[in-house]
Formats: sequence, C-alpha cells, structure tokens
Amino acid sequence: MIRRLLALLLTLLLTGCAAQSTPPELSFAPGEGERLVLYTSHKEEVYWPIVKEFEERTGIWVEVVTGGTNELLEKIQSQADTPLADVMFGGGVESLTSYADCFTPYRCAGAEAIAPAFQAPGDLWTPFSALPVVLIYNTKLVGAGALTCWDDLLSPRYHGRIAFADPAVSGSSFTALVTALHAVEGTDEEVLRRFAESLGGRQLQGSGDVVASVAGGTDLVGITLEETALKGVAAGYDIALVYPSDGTSCVPDASALIRGAPHADNAKLFLDFTVSAETQRLLTGTFCRRSVREDVPAEATMPPLDQLPAAEYDVAWASEHRDGVLMTWAFYLGGEEAA
Amino acid sequence: MRQTVPFRRRLFAAFLIVSLIPLLICSAMLLQIFRLRLVREAQREMEEQLHAVSLSMDTAFSALQEAAEALREDPLLAQALAGGVEDTAVYKALFAAVESARSYAGFDLYDLTGLWRYSTWQAPQESRLPTDWGVLSAAAAAGEPLRFTACADVTDTASPLLQCAVLLTDDAGQPAGYALVSLYQSHLRPLLEGKYGAQNDLLLLSRYWRPVYCVQPALAASLTPVLRGRLLAGEALSSGADPFLYAVSRHEASGLYLVLQRPQVFTEETMRLLYTVSLTCAVCCIAVSVGMSFKLSRQLSRPIERLHQGFGAVERNDLSVQVSAEGRDELAELEQRFNGMVAALRQNQEVLVENQRELNAAQIRMLQAQLNPHFLCNTLDTMKWISKINKVPEVALMSTDLADILRFGISPEEFVPLRRETEILQRYIEIQKIRMSDAFTFLLRVPEALLDCLIPKMILQPLVENAILHGLEGVSAGTITVEARQEGEMLRITVEDNGRGLPEDMNLSPGREHLGLYNVDTILRKHYGGGAGLELRSLAGGGAAVTAVLPVRREEEEGC
Repeated sequence: MIRRLLALLLTLLLTGCAAQSTPPELSFAPGEGERLVLYTSHKEEVYWPIVKEFEERTGIWVEVVTGGTNELLEKIQSQADTPLADVMFGGGVESLTSYADCFTPYRCAGAEAIAPAFQAPGDLWTPFSALPVVLIYNTKLVGAGALTCWDDLLSPRYHGRIAFADPAVSGSSFTALVTALHAVEGTDEEVLRRFAESLGGRQLQGSGDVVASVAGGTDLVGITLEETALKGVAAGYDIALVYPSDGTSCVPDASALIRGAPHADNAKLFLDFTVSAETQRLLTGTFCRRSVREDVPAEATMPPLDQLPAAEYDVAWASEHRDGVLMTWAFYLGGEEAA
Repeated sequence: MRQTVPFRRRLFAAFLIVSLIPLLICSAMLLQIFRLRLVREAQREMEEQLHAVSLSMDTAFSALQEAAEALREDPLLAQALAGGVEDTAVYKALFAAVESARSYAGFDLYDLTGLWRYSTWQAPQESRLPTDWGVLSAAAAAGEPLRFTACADVTDTASPLLQCAVLLTDDAGQPAGYALVSLYQSHLRPLLEGKYGAQNDLLLLSRYWRPVYCVQPALAASLTPVLRGRLLAGEALSSGADPFLYAVSRHEASGLYLVLQRPQVFTEETMRLLYTVSLTCAVCCIAVSVGMSFKLSRQLSRPIERLHQGFGAVERNDLSVQVSAEGRDELAELEQRFNGMVAALRQNQEVLVENQRELNAAQIRMLQAQLNPHFLCNTLDTMKWISKINKVPEVALMSTDLADILRFGISPEEFVPLRRETEILQRYIEIQKIRMSDAFTFLLRVPEALLDCLIPKMILQPLVENAILHGLEGVSAGTITVEARQEGEMLRITVEDNGRGLPEDMNLSPGREHLGLYNVDTILRKHYGGGAGLELRSLAGGGAAVTAVLPVRREEEEGC
C-alpha cells in the first residue's frame, strides 16, 4: 500500500510536465498529403536547389535524408515491409537495377522527351543526368595531345602516375573500368591485367580524390566523370579533360519510386519535376551535367553527346558481372603490389 | 522485549507515512505549480513578443504590398522595360512608387527575358535571372498576393534573404517584365531588433520551415533542421531535454513563421537543486521518524515491561510487589492502579486470614462449651461422697477421676503443660481400666525435659480413646504406649497400640468415624499452621501409631 502510494507520488513528480496539452505549434505541421520523404546520395549543391524549387512550386514539404548510394539502398531494402521513404534520388542505374525489388516502375510525365539511350527498361527508374567517363591530365606536366585514349593509359609514360579510385568503393570508378574493358582491345582479363600493371598497384580511396591528385601533380593523369572534371576546371585547377577517342560510356544516374511509398503521388510529382525541362536546364547550366532530355542541349562548352566516341556499355552485363570483374581486378592489383 | 520490535516498526512506518507523504506531495505539487506558472508566464511573454514582431512586420509587408501595387499600376515602368524611355524618368517613377517601402526592401526591374534593368539599390551580382526557375517564375500577377521566396543559404548575408517578384503588364495586359522585391539582412534587422527580448533569439522561417533570417545566421542554419524535424515528426518543439523554449506564430502577410527561442525557465541545474532540497528534506524526515519511533516505543515498552514483571509476581502469589510509576501519562496511571490493586488484594487476604482465625477460635470454644461442665462436676463430687458413705470405692474413684477430667476440660486456658495433660490422661486410663476390667496395659514414656512443654489442652485423651475403642477391640492382652520425643524444633507425641491396626481406607475427615482424631488434627493445624498435625501409620507387627506433631514451646515462652 505504502509502496503503491510512493510509486504514484514519484510518477506524479516525474511526469507532471507531461500533463500539458498538445503544443499549438503542431498545427503548423503539414498533413500527410503535403509531405515527401527523399533519400538522396546527391551532394547538397545538387539536391538543395531542386528541393527548394519543388517545395515552392508544389507546396509539398520535403524531408531529405542524405547518405551514400549503397547505404541508402540497403536502408530501403531493410525497410521494404514498411517503407519510410518515397523516392531514391541519385545513384547510378546499375546500383538501382540491382535493387529492382525495392522500386515500383513509373513512367514519368515528359518521358517521350528523354533520349532513348537513357530510357529505363520497364521504366524502373527515371534518369536524371548523363555522366560520361573522361580522362584528365595535369596541364603543366602533360602536353596537350599526349593523352587521347584509354590505350595511352597503358603506356609506360604514366606507369604508377594514374589517379583511379577503388572501383569496389566508387560506382563511377567501376563504370570507368567496365568502359575501359569495352574500349581497349583484348580479352577482359588481359585488359584488367595491363591496366592494373599501369596503376602500379596504387588506387585512390574515393572518386573525390582524383581531381585533387592530378591537379596537385601527384598523378599525371586520372579517370573520372565529366561533371567532376568540369567542376575542377571551373574551380581553376590545372587540369584538362579528354574524351577518349577509343570510346567512352555515358551511364546516367537516376531516381526511382520506392515500392509501397507512403506519399506515392507526391513522389511521382517529384520524379516528373526532376526530368522537367527547367530542372534539366538547371543541371546543364549550374551543375556541369548533361541533360537526359533531347530538347535540352548541352552547354556550349561541352561537345554534344552524339559527337562523343561511344563505347558500348551494357548495364545489365555490368550489374551481373560486377563481383567477377572486381575480384579479377583485386587479384591483378594485389599481385602487382606483391611484386 | 520481543513484542516491542514490530511495535517500533509500526510506529516507524506510521511516522514515515505521516511525514514523508505530505512532504513529497507538497514538494511535487510546489515544484509542478512553480514550473507551470513560470512556463505559462514565459509563454505568455513570448506570445506578446511575437505579437509585437508580427505588428512590426505587418507594417513593413503592407507597405511592400502597396509598393508592389504602385509598381504594377505605373504604365511608365512597363514602357521603360520595353525600351525607349529616359532612365531618369524611369528612376523617378520607380522611386516614387516605392517611396513608403524603400526602407524595407530593395526594388529591381527585370525585363521579360530576366535581364536586370533598373534598381533602387546597388546592381545585383547576376545581371540575368532565369524566368522559368526561382523567384521570377513565381512572380505574382495582378490581384495575387506576394509570394516570398526564401534565400538558398541563410548564412550568405550578402544575398537577399527574402525575395518576391511582381509581374508587370503593359497597357494591353501583356507581360512586360518583372519587379523584384529583395529583403536583405540590413532591412530585416532594424525591423525586428529590440522586439523580442535580449536573452531570446528570433528565427524567421519560410512557409516550409527553411531558415530565412536570424541575427546569428549560423544559429538559424543549425537549429532550423532540428525544429523542422520535430515538427514533421509531430513532436513538441520545446521538449524537456532542450535547454530552450520555443513559441511559434505564423505571419499571414508574408507566409513566414516566426520562431522565438528562449532559455528554459527551469534549467537542469535549477531542477537538480530543487530535487536535492526535496531529497534532503525527505532524508531528514526519515531520520526524525526513526528517532521518534525509537523514543516513543521505548517510552511505551518500559512501563509495559515493568507491569509484565509485576503481573508475574502476583501470579506467584507475591502480593508485596510494587512497580515504580514514572511519568504522568496513561501508562504511569495504569502502573499506579496496578500498585493499588495489589495493595488492596494484600489487605483483603490479611482480613480474610484474620476472620478465619477468629472463626476457628469460636468453633473451638463452641466445642468446649457443648456440655454444661459445672453441673456435671458438682454432681460427680456429690456421687463421690455418697459412694464413700456407702463404701463403694470404685464409684468414688471413678467419680473423682471423671470430675478432674471434666474440670480440666472446662478450664479456660487453651494450652497446658505436658505434665498436666499426662495426669488427666492417667485419670482417664483409671476409669477405662475399671470399665474394661484391666484388659490392657498402659505405658507412659515422657522424658522429664519435655514435661513442661505446652500443648493444646485435651489432645492426648481422644488419641488414647481412639486406640482403646477401635485398636484394642477384641484384643486380650492390649498395650497402649504414649511416648513423647523432641525432633529438632518439633515435639512428637506418639500413641501406639498393638491392636488391629488402621483400616486401609482410613482418612481424617469430619465424618462420624474418627471424629476425635479429626478434631485433634484440626486443632493442631489451626494453632500451629503447616507442619503441625497428626500422622497415622500402621505398625509392622500389628497395631497402629498416631503421632501428634507440634512445635516445642515452653511455659516461659508462652508467657512472653
């Protein structure tokens, strides 16, 4: 009896503050119909203007959760039964394809304006921007015209001075590796072996380090995405970019509607917005990216996409053989290290 | 002491309940009331401050709205954007239109392609704005309210924090260009400063709770996502763990939210102090309860223990017991009454014993007075003389003996020397020998030293009579021996016969049988109390022995 009384008193003492009514500010919270939860692997400079403009135009409150592509995809997969997010915004299409179970196909408004090369099979994802793989070189250390194609990278001139991110970590690096496999003549294994030898057993931890490494002179040449290289140029680094003459790939990054999304209608509005002409114009202008729309031309400073020497790139093949390619790559790179 | 432990515990529990519970209730209630009052007061104050800020912003935004209308209605400005109007005239018109609102914002004119043309402010960094993106794409047409767009980065104070665009139309109603209203930090600061308390911070948030303005832009940048997260998660902004209180109001004219941040009225430290004080009070209460319960239980248990021992003594028939009554409480009174009760009991018992003794004496006197002895004595004397005259010596002897016995019997003294008693016994034997024709032998063995012992009168005669009548009945050569002996303090006078012995079911009771023995036993017991009386036993070779046991007393002692 006494204990019960004491317990009651303690409860009163500790929870007296809980006796308040609902705080008035909660009436300002948007209803479920005015919300959108966005998972994005884009940098803030990319997603923020788009999210802001989307909010202003639609009146939908966007909650942004950022993270690495694989991290977010794993999160989506773990939440498959009760999804918390509506849209996965960002990530290469190979990554999105390998998590196809987590997404619902959606054909966005204005899909007909998107170049056929960037149309998703079965509309699983909505493309966002085209990202060709390019080679870069330090303009002070390497003369113009000394680097023109993938084959040049295998020459002894650049042995051990190539900036290349670990393809197991960086999705763009893997894309570049597969592009090289297609572009350089020889069997896949042969190309991987020669490329690994050229690297001298050294690769960078992340794709963000490539431009800095080349611009700083640690490496003479590097392999990265066009967007990254152009930003480096714009930032005043001493680098120049080369579209390899033996072919480059142009794999888009994309967005996808999450299966069972709690705010699916708003998610569709957002997907439509990412491929709208205005947004695509923004990304060509501000983000140094290429639009996936046929009616939005590339910036005057970029060569048009159809003039780039194209290497064949099979997304399905790349997804399927990812583990095998990475294991072979690690074998040759590690063997070089041991030698 | 065994029973006092739970008693103490019960006292302790009772003290705890009556001291601790009211204390806890009071502290809890005081704490809560105090807190609620302060929080309510703070909230009221914050609402007032927000209201003041709102009023200040109302003034500014209605001025901006009016300026926007004036810009829209001036046909010269639309013409100017199409070209062909002198700059001075345009600026004159522009400044006139925004006269009342110029202190609240900067105004720019853009043509339809988004190219900057005129400004009341310094020229913007970018001379071209996209018309399909951002602020120009959201330009308000005629009749629409202004839609303010938040800045991209609240910490970039060189850029406008808040912008809205107005679509300008020419005479034909065709779009001619845009008027852009830009609010910089330098506009908002004087508008809000001093309205919300020195210790507080004010955040201006967009309609989607993105940061717009704060005196410390870094605070807005870091705090807004947190507040927005709480709002979207449906949590109160002022959570218990947050060191700040928040009040929010919506400013309708601009669509902005005003968030006032104020330090919590009760910091964690204050709460800890209050809890510590309460806890200390509780500990004091416990200590006092322990002390009081010990003291009280001791006060109670001591008299109870004394009474307990007193009752034990009374149970053992010790009526002289008294307990010491200390104090002036009910228990002391109880002890006093116990003492009184024991005293009354003792007195009662004494009175009872005295009464009994008096009664016994009366009974003895009654026994002695059952015959009218003087008449018998005189008659016997007369018979003696007549028998002497008529020469019948046996009758004369018997009459003399009988008269002596009777005289002895009615003499007033209760105690006589053993010598005298034996003389009378001789008289009795003489009579019995004549009656029974010398059928038995009588032996008297009393040491000289014991002859002057005092014994109750007439106790030997009934014993001898009993031996003659019952013991020697039908015995031819009977012997009766009377023997006196001293054993310690006790005098033992034994009457032995060699007759039939005692019947097996013999006992001393006031029945018809052995009335004489019973009387002697009673007299001995009454006079001398425990230890005195008759002892009866059968002898091994036949016959019985009856012993009168009584204390040795001499004539001199009796005299004292």
